[in-house]
Amino acid sequence: MTAPVEAGRPVPRLGATPPPALASAPQQRRGDYAGFASRFIAFGFDCVLSIGLFELVLAASSYAASVLTGTAIHWSKGDQWVIPAFFIWEFLYFAHFWATSGRTPGMIILGIRVVGQDGNRVGTRRGLVRTLAFPLSLLLLGLGFLGILFRPDRRALHDVIAGTAVVYAWDAREAGLRSLARESSSRRR
Amino acid sequence: MAQGVAQLVIDPVVESLDLNALIARVDVNQVVDRVDMNAVLDRVDLNGVLDRVDMNGVLDRVDLNPVLDRVDLNPVLDHLDMNKLLANVDINELLGRIDIETLVKDTDIGELLASSSRTVASEAVDLGRSHAVSMDDTLARWVSRLRRRRNAPTVPTDSPTAQEQS
Repeated sequence: MTAPVEAGRPVPRLGATPPPALASAPQQRRGDYAGFASRFIAFGFDCVLSIGLFELVLAASSYAASVLTGTAIHWSKGDQWVIPAFFIWEFLYFAHFWATSGRTPGMIILGIRVVGQDGNRVGTRRGLVRTLAFPLSLLLLGLGFLGILFRPDRRALHDVIAGTAVVYAWDAREAGLRSLARESSSRRR
Repeated sequence: MAQGVAQLVIDPVVESLDLNALIARVDVNQVVDRVDMNAVLDRVDLNGVLDRVDMNGVLDRVDLNPVLDRVDLNPVLDHLDMNKLLANVDINELLGRIDIETLVKDTDIGELLASSSRTVASEAVDLGRSHAVSMDDTLARWVSRLRRRRNAPTVPTDSPTAQEQS
């Protein structure tokens, strides 16, 4: 299968899951559909980061409001407006990263990225639709995520709705070579 | 007196000789064959000759490009024993002559060193990713095993029950 090319730049090839026999060997994984564990860990990392940033913004705005009004203000999660603000913040966080680069910080660390189902860039529209459809997968008692485990293209419900897929943007073989280079350089030292 | 007589005789004889015609009749190759070149060369002081030659002047007048074009270097290189050659090279001395600063400045080696330090920083990330990918594959294997078990026919197709059903 030839990889689609977008604006002269190679786009990840959308391939099938490699045979289990090859799974442990270092190999070219770029463009293969990303699995559940990688996606789940990346999502967990993004949750920690986005919540941490939100808490930080909340604390900063509490301090700024205290300075401006002269009275001690402490906004906590119990406040009425904080919850909708939190959801808006989460929406902005994921929508921004998915629509612009297809990679949240968690996805960058785990070496995965969101692409269109045709292998092209996600784009703003698909990025926004994916972000809006994402809570659906959660609200259906997590059943929307089962597609990652059971579908051959490892697409969750929100991927199907938005016409996206998540692929590996990281090459295990390159990582293996880097590791070899490091080993040989440390041996030389 | 004899010398005077000889001079009187020889001079007119030499003058009357057609030297060109004489040389034309000489087989030079035969003469050269008779000459013991080694004995001649033994008597020549080659170092003295070479000392008097301006080699730079000679080389300036030689166009080496057409000469090199005609040289097939492959057989020359085939004859070279590189190991022997390299054994004579003092690598440390050679490296000592290299201006490392200029080398790093003028080449991509600096970039290479910087990227290698970046890769050191990414070692943990690579390791984490490898673990995540192997977990992905383990999960995929479990799921495919589960699906195979589910899709497997409960009654073998060649059993009597299956034949009755068909």
